Amino acid sequence: MPASPPPHNDAPSSEEPLQALPAAAALVKSPLLRSVSGQDPLTMSSSTESLPYRRSNPVAASLYASTLSPPGSRSMSPAGRGSPSRVLAGTVFDAPSGPLPEGAGEKPGDPLNLIVKAFVPHVAIQASSDVQDLARSKGFKNGLWELLRPFGERIQGKVAIRDSNGVSKLAEDFSVRFTRFGADVEHPDVGFKQQASGQEDQGMSRDKRTLAAVEEVVDRHLSYAEQSFLNMPQHSQSTTQGLDIETTSPYYALFLRRLLSGMPIVAHETFGHPVACVVAVSARSDDSVGELRQIYETSQGPNRLPPWVDGDYLRYYVLVHDEENDDIQRSMALFEQMKRHLGLHCHLLRLRSSQSAETDDDSIPLPRSEWISATEELAEIKKSEDEEDDFEDPTRHIFESDATAIRTFIREMVTQSIVPTMERHVSIWNDQIASRRRGFAGRFMNLSRKFNFGGGGRSSTGSSGMGKDNYDAAGFFRADAPEAIMRKLADYAFMLRDFKLAHSTYELLRTDFADSKAWKHHAATNEMAAISLLIQTQQITSKTRAETIDQMLESAFYSYHTRCSAPFGAMRSLTLCLELLRLRGGTSVDDASRWGIRLLESRILGPVGDALIKERLAICHASKEGVGSWHWGARYRKSAAWSVLAADAWMQHERYLPAQRCLNEARKTYAALPTKHGISKFESAHGFIESLERALSDKLDHTGEASKDIDEESEALMDSRPRRSSGARRTSVIETAPLHKED
Amino acid sequence: MSYYFAIVGTQDAPLFEYEFGTSKQGHDGLSRFSDQVRHLNQFILHSSLDIAEEVQWAHGSMYLKCIDKFFDNYISCFVTGANVKFLLLHHPLNNTGGSGSRSSTAIGANPTSPATEEAIKLFFQEVYENWVKAVMSPFYQNNMEVKSPVFRQRVAAAGRKYL
Repeated sequence: MPASPPPHNDAPSSEEPLQALPAAAALVKSPLLRSVSGQDPLTMSSSTESLPYRRSNPVAASLYASTLSPPGSRSMSPAGRGSPSRVLAGTVFDAPSGPLPEGAGEKPGDPLNLIVKAFVPHVAIQASSDVQDLARSKGFKNGLWELLRPFGERIQGKVAIRDSNGVSKLAEDFSVRFTRFGADVEHPDVGFKQQASGQEDQGMSRDKRTLAAVEEVVDRHLSYAEQSFLNMPQHSQSTTQGLDIETTSPYYALFLRRLLSGMPIVAHETFGHPVACVVAVSARSDDSVGELRQIYETSQGPNRLPPWVDGDYLRYYVLVHDEENDDIQRSMALFEQMKRHLGLHCHLLRLRSSQSAETDDDSIPLPRSEWISATEELAEIKKSEDEEDDFEDPTRHIFESDATAIRTFIREMVTQSIVPTMERHVSIWNDQIASRRRGFAGRFMNLSRKFNFGGGGRSSTGSSGMGKDNYDAAGFFRADAPEAIMRKLADYAFMLRDFKLAHSTYELLRTDFADSKAWKHHAATNEMAAISLLIQTQQITSKTRAETIDQMLESAFYSYHTRCSAPFGAMRSLTLCLELLRLRGGTSVDDASRWGIRLLESRILGPVGDALIKERLAICHASKEGVGSWHWGARYRKSAAWSVLAADAWMQHERYLPAQRCLNEARKTYAALPTKHGISKFESAHGFIESLERALSDKLDHTGEASKDIDEESEALMDSRPRRSSGARRTSVIETAPLHKED
Repeated sequence: MSYYFAIVGTQDAPLFEYEFGTSKQGHDGLSRFSDQVRHLNQFILHSSLDIAEEVQWAHGSMYLKCIDKFFDNYISCFVTGANVKFLLLHHPLNNTGGSGSRSSTAIGANPTSPATEEAIKLFFQEVYENWVKAVMSPFYQNNMEVKSPVFRQRVAAAGRKYL
């Protein structure tokens, strides 16, 4: 359909400069002058408008909405201010805590929140062709899945979850993720056996591709921000704000989110496996019940899920009623019939089949899904670039009544079917399988299992192995093996936020997988064991940390990175633990930074990830608070040094805005040190900062033209870690140094 | 093996800087730092002051051993009575040409080994002695840069002797 650009898009272009001027003018001070006090009110206020105004191609702007402003200040963001016609994405869902997708009140965009929201139940969707047609006629090319997806991320109201002890607690921001049935299945590396080497290319390239896509997405967002910044009339006043310790930088949040979204269905963890499957048929067809059967058969047929996915998931039947064309009486009768045959897990979803335009009275824009995978987002961005002018606004609109119907449907499905089913599974598996392994008898059984059948070549006997080891040579446990079920139990418990049970189960599994030499399983279990331990609120002594968490992370990282060459897993485990350790404060921060350095050392990351992690390490060090008025034990100098390194990394990647931000932060931190000189007396270090500053102001002032010669020069030096435009300066420093020494 | 040695005063200003390489096993005592890492060394050294300021309260002796690590740069620290810090950044170099097998037994190939720690301790002690003598000069004031060529020579000699 020809999408007319929504009116709100032109509004900011006329108003923005006027509005922005006072703030910008106030910020034009010598950076050194204002950097002395971190508490400068201007700094605080400027952090809310920390991202530059973006304007080029207004339609495509919605693609970049996730980094348009820090999540915490969405309503204050420059683009949104003063243009009441602009409907912000979040307002569709009248969540009590404001329009934040992250909810969680005071900590929006918080990594902890992201982690909790990343590991949520996945619900597969199978729809009959009639339903897909209906969704398509509403403007959703990818069918029902695309229509439901944003709603799964925000379930209205609280969801009561009972943990393994029968204690019920309310989860405020529970969510589910909808996936297409059978999509994104990632088979274990067939070549990964003991004797094989070099055949892991398939899995490795997939991992690498995912990582590359994640970085590319962040990079696109950055370059978009930069372009719009440079197009601004008053862009010469470079941004003066530094990093913000409290709120996560939108780019880092985006990086984490893309890292965690789009979890494929893999053998070594069950988070991506469907917990339930929505089977949707339309009331329009003559034989709805027959269609149900047909869908059921396809899920059993050739394109069914691989043997390591438990086929015994909950099936939730949905009858989609078309309000405009179908007869409600007939649909109701059909629904009654369905209920009689299929039990309670049924729902009648009433939708209108026509497409809603923005001008309709009761239409509301459908928010973009927060958790689309990196590859998908990248495809959308590319499309928007290829089509330049006739790019269709990706914002969809739906009728208010439809939105209400879908919301009710999802809430009912989650609270009445999915969560209770998961709870039941957890308690059954816990009683029948896991608890047998705990305690003395369990340990004994485990030992006898190991040694009775002893002998060599345990794990290489393959799928015909007679129960001595359930590990299939193709790299998976069958879904009915006790190990697989326990892993599922632990994952379910994690998704239901019963981290204690999850942790104890992961703990049991760790050794099992190591015994079977199922390294990827081993790595994933270690990773989750560490995360589930860190995410619990209880205090962790430094001893446990050194003994347990370090060990778990170490083996997770080693198994992922070295044994399985799965950089994605390696990176995810370290990044998440870095965040969780950081949140604990105190000495955990040092551990966090150690793991961060480890991650940088491993050379998994591309340029963007590298710079982002460096930036994060700076924040990480800064978040350690010292003792007393002298701040003993604080890490200000370290934080500043990392900021400079991050700025350097951004410079090398030619992303000048974040570089500027990091450099400002470094300067502020150095100036705030209790000692007099900061780093200014260290000549070459100080010179380096100044050269960075000069290069940056060149870049940001002259839109690139004036500094072309510098560019060329630095290109020639590219192979040996170029320091942009600092060559002249450095030689002078070096020339004076020997003089100084010898006389 | 390359070393970057700095004496840092109480206000974070370097009072003395010296860069040298190992003289053991036929090496020429020149540092192998490239221009690109020179500023990095200073950042690392400066940032490890954070750790030094924390560790000095927990340690009984003036020699704090190896206090920090940044990728493969290690920092050893010695605190004097006037809260001046001696910081030594050592960077084990792997690609020392044909002498690969020999350098593995050299001091500093393993920066946290007791032998290395001992060598650095002796180095620090000798520098400390000379430092006290240099600082006793009636013209020296607190936190002033030390430019004495004699002191520099003596530090160089200590470096040659122990490292």
